[in-house]
Amino acid sequence: MTRHLLRLIWNRKRQNFLLTLEILFSFLALFGVVLFTMHFVNNSRQPLGFDIDRVWSITVDRKENDEDPAVKSRHRATFRQLLIALREMPQIEVAAASFTSPYANWSWGGSIRLPGGHKFDHGVNSITDDFPKLFQMPLVNGRWFSREDDAATWTPVLVNVRMAHEIFGDVDAVGKVIPEERDPNDPPPDPNEKPQVRRVIGVFEDFRKDGELSTPEDFMFQRVRLDDGVPKENLPGRLLVRLAPGTPASFEETVVQRLMADAPDWSFEVQRADVMREGKLRQYTLPLVAVGTVAGFLLLMVALGLTGVVWQSVTQRIREFGLRRAKGATIVNIRRQVLVEMVIMTSLALIVGVVLLAQLPLLPLPSDINVIPAGVFAASIAISVAAIYVLTLLCGWYPSRLATKVQPAEALHYE
Amino acid sequence: MLKHYLSLAVKVLMRRKFFTFISLFGISFTLLVLMVVTAMLDHAFAPMAPETRQARTLGVHNAVMYGPHSTWQSSAGFKLLNTYARNLPGVERLSLYSGDGTVHSYLGGHKIESSLKRTDDEFWRILDFTFVEGGPYGTADFAEARFVAVINVATRQRFCDGRPAVGQTIEADGQRFRVVGVVKDVSEMRQVPFADIWVPYTTAKTDAYKREIMGSFHAIALARDRASMTQLHDEFNSRMLRVELPKGYTNIVAPFETHLQVVARQLPIGDRKNPESQVWRLVALLAVLAVLFALIPTVNLVNINISRIMERASEIGVRKAFGAPARTLVGQFLVENLLLTILGGLIGLVMSFFVIRALNVTGILRYAEFGINPRVFGYGMLIAIVFGLVSGVYPAWRMSRLNPVDALKGGVSR
Repeated sequence: MTRHLLRLIWNRKRQNFLLTLEILFSFLALFGVVLFTMHFVNNSRQPLGFDIDRVWSITVDRKENDEDPAVKSRHRATFRQLLIALREMPQIEVAAASFTSPYANWSWGGSIRLPGGHKFDHGVNSITDDFPKLFQMPLVNGRWFSREDDAATWTPVLVNVRMAHEIFGDVDAVGKVIPEERDPNDPPPDPNEKPQVRRVIGVFEDFRKDGELSTPEDFMFQRVRLDDGVPKENLPGRLLVRLAPGTPASFEETVVQRLMADAPDWSFEVQRADVMREGKLRQYTLPLVAVGTVAGFLLLMVALGLTGVVWQSVTQRIREFGLRRAKGATIVNIRRQVLVEMVIMTSLALIVGVVLLAQLPLLPLPSDINVIPAGVFAASIAISVAAIYVLTLLCGWYPSRLATKVQPAEALHYE
Repeated sequence: MLKHYLSLAVKVLMRRKFFTFISLFGISFTLLVLMVVTAMLDHAFAPMAPETRQARTLGVHNAVMYGPHSTWQSSAGFKLLNTYARNLPGVERLSLYSGDGTVHSYLGGHKIESSLKRTDDEFWRILDFTFVEGGPYGTADFAEARFVAVINVATRQRFCDGRPAVGQTIEADGQRFRVVGVVKDVSEMRQVPFADIWVPYTTAKTDAYKREIMGSFHAIALARDRASMTQLHDEFNSRMLRVELPKGYTNIVAPFETHLQVVARQLPIGDRKNPESQVWRLVALLAVLAVLFALIPTVNLVNINISRIMERASEIGVRKAFGAPARTLVGQFLVENLLLTILGGLIGLVMSFFVIRALNVTGILRYAEFGINPRVFGYGMLIAIVFGLVSGVYPAWRMSRLNPVDALKGGVSR
């Protein structure tokens, strides 16, 4: 029976080829949308690592390049003063400073090459000691930064669980030095500079700076000191505060005026962390919603088109169906024939589509694109395949009923 | 003959309403999407007030400084532009201004967020703002660093509740400015003129900007004519070779460009270190995206068209039997299909009018007023015609190849 159906499809190969092509393109378009949706859904189930309740972020624009050591030292003193001023305000529970904050559009990255040549990228943030307390971050192992790190002869760092696993595997990372190897392609190091030894003092759950929908990545914290012990170190770009419960929004003006009093030449931009969060989420969802809407309409268009084409081909073949019924085929047989033909063509398109898509993970894509887990990829293929079968069967359903509406005798001389 | 084709086409389209409906749905939706995108691109790139002299304007908007081990990308610094962009050949006017930054003001416990741009006085002579009140600040205001500001209508609404603002004082970023003029809102997509508040850059909080090679400044130059645009572009690039760069950097690229060139050079597929025009990359990218998007609708329409033809096989058979040449039949079908696509295009145009209105209302982009002007309409119709031809050619060819005997019997599609 299937052989026979295949021959029937082969007999109308030109038209069926175009139909198959259309189903294939629709499958690929649908897959794209499903993949990104699934990726975001999967990301949103991973731990975030911080809490932004009642947090405000203040971007500091120092208006002046601080490459000059004298300027930097002056800026450092001002920064120190600003933090003290904030901590003195009764409405502020915790104040901290950092390079970047959750949901901010600033990012900083680094890369590490382990002995053996494994190289990976990671995000970095430099933070003051109060930063984890401010964001109520869960610590998994070891300790946070504190004054006892002032005297350390090595650079203390904190890493997230993922990064600890990347470097040390299942071994406890706390207290270990990150083993690093120089990339032979890199320029030779400056002989006057002491090579940096970075030691992990604690492991935190995570710090997914870009929020719930972002892809989890390796992340490292460095310590910012505002005292004069480290004159060369870069200054943070943000002040962060967590407010006491019930602080009104109008407190913002008071904060800015207080900061301006100490640093009249600088500019401050206060943003509520929850507002920043909304903006960031929109950056992720808006393109997906736009593309999804367009893809939805495309699929509707394809569904209508397929229905029309199958309808027409059924009308054209009504004599063929009449003949089959005259020779004893039941209504169910005929309907099934139309639907099975549809299923065969859909399957052909899907086989080609899945084979094409299976090449994607094998391609040498850059690592920042190649972040989608295999499970999400496979699930997206499965969902898209199922959706396309449902779609094409729905398109074949009405025409298949049409094929048996006509009486055999009438069908045989149908014109 | 054409009239005959048209009346025939209308009859055929009316006969199978379902087919006509799905064709029109597909065509109008496809063209709707393409037209909304076209309207956005037009809004971003076409010359319009206040950039009425865009055809003669070039700007330095992005700079890249690099050495063997480091790359620094940002806007150019004031020192670079002030030292090297002055006295270029063929330049009528030159303006330096800082990129817009968000500043906050507090008014009766409320926060007002505005975009503030610091400019010189020439800025107002190159760009053609529409003043609803007062006027721009002049050379004396600029040179003596007077705290004066031009604001837009939206800002006047926020600060003065829509009452006349000239002579009033507003506070922004801890500084107080006296309003001298109010201009119509300018869309956020027009990066050069856009801001809520414009003030002289001589009022900046510190003069640190004066020492920066890389920083936050832009330059726009109004060329005397189109020929001098190449001249000034080349001259500035050759001056860039002489710039004294900080340690670790060997080259700086900061060309005078048009809007399209700026975007093309910043694309992921663009080469930022090449100061020459790369507009072709942008055009190629847009073309590839458009083709990819139109792939599904085109195949869909081709399928529907073939179905429609096969249904009329006996009509075609009769015409063939009476000696109609293949060319005539192809022509007839193409006219029919073009009529359908143009009809779909018009429906798409009406729909895009509503979609664009809705987009403007949501205010995703500040003060953006996308619109369908004659130029966008022209592009839309062009897209419709190309779409009609592409989706009609293959089915028409199939039709012309039908064997008259088979066709008369009701069509065999082999």
